[in-house]
Amino acid sequence: MRTNAFVVYGGAALAALLAGALLALGGGASPLQAGAALWEGMFGSAYAIGSSLNTAAALGLIATGFTVAHRAGLVNVGGEGQLCAGGIAAAFAGVSLPDATPTLVALPLVLLVAFAAGGAWAAIAAWLKVSRGTSEVITTLLLNFVGLAMVLLVVHEEGLLRQPVTSSQTLPQSEPLIEGARLPLLGLEGSPATIAFLIAAVAAVAVAVLLRRTATGTRLTAVGHSVTAAARLGLPVRRLQFWSLTSAGGLAGMAGGALVATTPFVLAESFSSGYGFAGLVVGLLARGSLAAVAGVALLFGLLASGGMNLQLAAGVPASSVQIVQSLLTIFIAGAVILRRTS
Amino acid sequence: MSAFVELAEGGVRLAVPLLLASAGELVSERAGVLNLSVEGMMLTGAFAGAVGASMTGSPWAGVGFALAAGLLAALLQAVLSVTLRADQIVTGIAANALALGGTTYGARLFFTDGRSVPGFEPVLGPLTVLGCAGLAVVAAIGLLLSRRTGYGLAVDAAGADAVAADRTGLPVAAIRYGVVLLTGLTSALAGAQLALAEVHAFTDNLTAGVGYLAVVAVIAGRWRAWPTALACLFFGIAQALQFTAPLLGLHLPTAVLVMSPYLIALVAVSGLVGSSRAPAGLTVPFHRESR
Repeated sequence: MRTNAFVVYGGAALAALLAGALLALGGGASPLQAGAALWEGMFGSAYAIGSSLNTAAALGLIATGFTVAHRAGLVNVGGEGQLCAGGIAAAFAGVSLPDATPTLVALPLVLLVAFAAGGAWAAIAAWLKVSRGTSEVITTLLLNFVGLAMVLLVVHEEGLLRQPVTSSQTLPQSEPLIEGARLPLLGLEGSPATIAFLIAAVAAVAVAVLLRRTATGTRLTAVGHSVTAAARLGLPVRRLQFWSLTSAGGLAGMAGGALVATTPFVLAESFSSGYGFAGLVVGLLARGSLAAVAGVALLFGLLASGGMNLQLAAGVPASSVQIVQSLLTIFIAGAVILRRTS
Repeated sequence: MSAFVELAEGGVRLAVPLLLASAGELVSERAGVLNLSVEGMMLTGAFAGAVGASMTGSPWAGVGFALAAGLLAALLQAVLSVTLRADQIVTGIAANALALGGTTYGARLFFTDGRSVPGFEPVLGPLTVLGCAGLAVVAAIGLLLSRRTGYGLAVDAAGADAVAADRTGLPVAAIRYGVVLLTGLTSALAGAQLALAEVHAFTDNLTAGVGYLAVVAVIAGRWRAWPTALACLFFGIAQALQFTAPLLGLHLPTAVLVMSPYLIALVAVSGLVGSSRAPAGLTVPFHRESR
């Protein structure tokens, strides 16, 4: 079983690398040149590593939430929408607090509001699941698009969150969050990394402990294995399902709050930029292990920074990274059959 | 031209790709395969269509390219969902990302020096020859694979209970391959429709979610043909309204129009109004040993 998993992941990584080399050749750079540019973009500067860490934090939070719901047998496809809900709520809170609110009050408040909003967004799907039996896959998927449109709505309407329009150049985005609501930097030289990374790490550890060491974790696992068996044991199946999906939404919402509370500290039209979907993929690839969540989230974060440099330094389209990532996902998802038969 | 006529014509034009893509998707979901990759198949079709038309100078050759590319994209999805029994949602989203990355990469290499893309011109009201052909395909699928034909019943059986269908001797895997490939063809045609009859060019992420909208139309239509077609028409009009609302003197935030299809689908699927039943075996892979 172990060796089999190793073969699957190793083979997928090799195949993805090979595809990457071909894409580099197609873009007119030698694979070595492209590899060097990618490496430079990933680890070449404190700035690159810092922005990778910020991306990884958001992906990690979403994937951690996904893992909680997945333990109870629910598939949360709605990270993107929950992220949007969290971002909107964080922006509302962050621009309306008094300017002088200290960080110790403002920041936890903004993150909590984001958590609550993301949770509430997921709770719609969770409620439909437990009360009407509607597939959470479909409802969370639909709610993604509603959430994305909600962001569009609030940043375009002056009555809502749009900054005052002074000229035709005014961007459709919110005003910046007050000082106190912004995530502090980790304080590394020249690095934009914020404490979001620590928050994500704490969340992952807390969830790992919850799932492995507590009775709640065992109950969730029981529900995930068999709803009927869990119900016969007298477990509150619906309540467990509802709260696992809702807290998954909360974590994704918090990721949205963290994104808004990071430079440039505004809610803009495309602030979510696919984080929710990428976070879902991270959660799926990690297959329930929170250590794997951390590893895959870091890898995806690094690849995102690397891809930008690939375009700048080697002239290879940045979309190459997206292609390699999706191939990696397809290979690993497709190889499930190997693990099943072992 | 009055704004209402413009709205109706725009709605019909934008409904055609939706109808095409959701016709394939509806059949596929009835057979138990959720193709989230409709979006990717459409985008692939749009790209291949634009490349083909631009290379050969003939829009029909472009359509041929699009169909071939759509078939390839669908083959990938079919191998993953049917043979390898991979998670249909993960692979669907990944296939969409692959199509987005692949076509963006391809466009960087191919559409460099302002290449022109020959397209179709309207012949029948707002519809082009390709649009009419698309509607004919939709009608043919609706007739041949309705619940009143043997084929249609076989499709439903494969999606309702694959194990039982297999016991009665139906070739479940072949049916599922067939419906996914069909979705690839209709989605690619929908993509070609967008690239060759609407935009007359290829731009990054040309489909921008229309493929997902087609999946949503099937859900909003509760897996039935006429309601799905109605949903497509409505979604087409909602899209057209984004452009014509100012002409009609309506002040509606664009975002409200953008989100309306998804809200409608949410209400339809939640069973709050009437009952909704998804095919029982939707997204459940089948293999013979699993008894």
